[in-house]
Amino acid sequence: MRNSTPLRIVIGIAVIVLLLFAPRVLTIVQIRMANEIAYFALFAVSYNFLFGYAGLLSFGHASYFGLGAYTTALSLKHVAGMPLLASIALGGLVGAAGGAIIGFFCVRRKGAYFALLTLAFNQFLWATAWKWHKVTGGEDGIGKFVPKSPLNLGIATLDHNQVEGMYYLTLTVVLLCLAAGWYLTKTPFGNTIKAIKVNEERADFLGYQVNRSKLLIFTIAAFFAAIAGSLFALFQDFVATSSIDLGMSTQVLFMAFLGGTGSFFGPILGAVIYVYFTDWVSSLTNRWEFILGVLFILLVLYFHRGFIGLIPTKVKAIFVTQKGS
Amino acid sequence: MELTMSTLLIYALHGLVYGMLLFLVASGLTLVFGMMDVLNIAHAAFYMLGAYFGYTVVLATGNFWLALIAAPIAVGLLGALVERYFLKKVHIHGHAFELLITFGVFFVIGEVVKWVWGNFPRPMDVPSALAGSIKFIGLTYPFYRFFILFFALLVLAVLAYVFFKTRLGMTIRAAVSDTQMLSALGINVPRLFLYVFSGGAALAGLAGVVAAPFLSTYPGMGLDMMVDIFVVVVIGGFGSIMGAFLASLMIGELQSFGILFIPQLALVFQFLLMALVLISRPTGLFGEKV
Amino acid sequence: MVIMELRDLHKDFSGLKVLFGINLLLQKGEKHAIIGPNGAGKSTIFNLITGKYTPSQGKVFFKGKDITGYLPNEITRMGLARSFQITNIFRTMTVFENVRNAVLSKNNARLDVFSRLSKMNGIVEETERILSQIDLLERKNEMAGELAHGHQRAMEIGLTIATDPELILLDEPTAGMSTEETKEAIKLIERVSTGRTLVIVEHDMEVVFSLAHRITVIYYGQVLASGPPEEIRNDQRVKDAYLGEEKE
Repeated sequence: MRNSTPLRIVIGIAVIVLLLFAPRVLTIVQIRMANEIAYFALFAVSYNFLFGYAGLLSFGHASYFGLGAYTTALSLKHVAGMPLLASIALGGLVGAAGGAIIGFFCVRRKGAYFALLTLAFNQFLWATAWKWHKVTGGEDGIGKFVPKSPLNLGIATLDHNQVEGMYYLTLTVVLLCLAAGWYLTKTPFGNTIKAIKVNEERADFLGYQVNRSKLLIFTIAAFFAAIAGSLFALFQDFVATSSIDLGMSTQVLFMAFLGGTGSFFGPILGAVIYVYFTDWVSSLTNRWEFILGVLFILLVLYFHRGFIGLIPTKVKAIFVTQKGS
Repeated sequence: MELTMSTLLIYALHGLVYGMLLFLVASGLTLVFGMMDVLNIAHAAFYMLGAYFGYTVVLATGNFWLALIAAPIAVGLLGALVERYFLKKVHIHGHAFELLITFGVFFVIGEVVKWVWGNFPRPMDVPSALAGSIKFIGLTYPFYRFFILFFALLVLAVLAYVFFKTRLGMTIRAAVSDTQMLSALGINVPRLFLYVFSGGAALAGLAGVVAAPFLSTYPGMGLDMMVDIFVVVVIGGFGSIMGAFLASLMIGELQSFGILFIPQLALVFQFLLMALVLISRPTGLFGEKV
Repeated sequence: MVIMELRDLHKDFSGLKVLFGINLLLQKGEKHAIIGPNGAGKSTIFNLITGKYTPSQGKVFFKGKDITGYLPNEITRMGLARSFQITNIFRTMTVFENVRNAVLSKNNARLDVFSRLSKMNGIVEETERILSQIDLLERKNEMAGELAHGHQRAMEIGLTIATDPELILLDEPTAGMSTEETKEAIKLIERVSTGRTLVIVEHDMEVVFSLAHRITVIYYGQVLASGPPEEIRNDQRVKDAYLGEEKE
């Protein structure tokens, strides 16, 4: 593993350079798709912090995605001249706060109880978004809040056309967040989460504060999910209850599993596959969600390591430190 | 609306009826959980399917009583399929996968319902034999709601009988305590699981048929019910039938009066209560096992 | 100096009463063995001391402080550690990572989101030091769950001392061991408990008599006798109640 680090860095830089130059060769449609993949990748990775790393199965992760999305939309709509980066940061903070509050109730519980609590709170937020027409626009949502190009980020201005500018903004934010997330897995706290997942009782008896640690990872995951939601809001220029409903919670679950929850990069692959696949299938039939559901069941039954299991082991070994799950 | 004694009573009755319905559904969930250690997320989807199957049978034959028999059987069979071909397969991978597969089933059933019956509510008429209202203590109340109440009580009485007075019931109760022991005694535990799971599904389906004229069938009814019965189980305590009963009535009344007094915030009270219980008595009012 | 006091401990589990007023004084540096027939309540005492259960009645004092009702992680951080009768290690982590978990905890790095784990040399050194103490240094990259039973038991003890506790509680550390393994285990326990207070629950009398300064006999939830090994050996009540299970 140690001698693959320079190789990792080279590959990492190559990927980043590729991503930066992509708009030169891609069509508008493709750039938009890349944008979508980017924020969903962050969303899926944040989900996997809970499931893959901490062993916490959440059915309500869209709560924070939605909180980020709505916060960003509302801040841009109601605060004149709001810098985009500030609206993203605000979205992240509100999402994190939501994560801390909801997490407080959920993390003391295990397994099914935890999972359904996250679902219940998600439903509560969805119902609130739906009913609070005055603020959230209810089913109609909030739209047309993103300022036109040049995009005022706050610390800089992006001069590109709208699509490219949004792409670069999303890419940068996502890459920074992914880097931070990756780093987190290499810290003592990252080890704490792993230890708790492997043997919670022993960790407790070794002095680890289990609930507090779970709450912290829950909040961090919520933060990143909310950032993803903010980027989603900026991309779509429209936020409605679909950003916080069970459908969105299900999508991120699918993405993470599709790619593989046993590694850091799995969910990223999952986001890529998911966006391409749903784009393709939805052009063929209206019933693409049904097909997705069936595929998910098949995935759980027969292929639960996800698509990352298809990548040859040698290639994987460069990037993927299996978490031994 | 004038807040008279009769209005309050009517809303109280609404709450009672819905509460009994909740209990009917929640008891199946609790039983399967107690015995198989699986929280079946698809349970509420079975309820929804029961409602839709019932609707279809009534639409086709005009016979509500036929629906009352046919729909639960159909749902029960589906439940058996789910248990045998999905749940059992995934069992070795642990609880998370059991949850994931039942979630997947819940999702797919939801999509199928939207596909076959459309993404809009389909109200169902109260069967003519049970229509009309009853006058009592100065109130006029729909007869059908009383029917629900008594039907639920009847079903529960039958279940209680089976549970406590028959051999099957005894076996089930033993299984809730200790499945390994049962296996050692030569009882075919996998088959027992199959029966109880599909029985639970059928029960949920039956509740669905009965609920359909009351609540109307709509694609979100599965999710709404799932959240409601989960709140019931949290407040009442996992594994406690008495807790589920009291919590069901509580939630039923809370929703009913919530709608009466503060319709916009009706949902909030439920969650506040749940949050309160989670803080003060994490195992629920009566629960032990979590 | 008294490091631990058990004062009138009672424990009942929904009607089943297991402990009927346990009193015990533990001196710092002492090596104390708790023996008694199965079901007498020895593990329950451990669980009460380490915070897994709360006593129905009575108090536990550690270093003069009342720790009754404290949580396990709080008690561990105060300087107490326990091992488990049934090996309770991190099976899907390596031997090195197992001990490192404990070392990180002792160094209060549990919630550290800034340091790079691989660059924490002090942690690495300390972990390896403990690994050599328990003779598992050469196996540091093996999966803990794949070790032989004897090595897993050593791992179990390793995890217990890695938080550098003042008081160690070992719960039947030689359970399931052969005579050879037991001899090795005794040496290991002697090594790791130098400078610490030790309480050990055991069935193997050879272990008990080689290690203990004092022995307490628990019988049906009560202290039957307590004193130095010779005294216990000759105590008629002990002989009557508990025909010492000598290992063959």
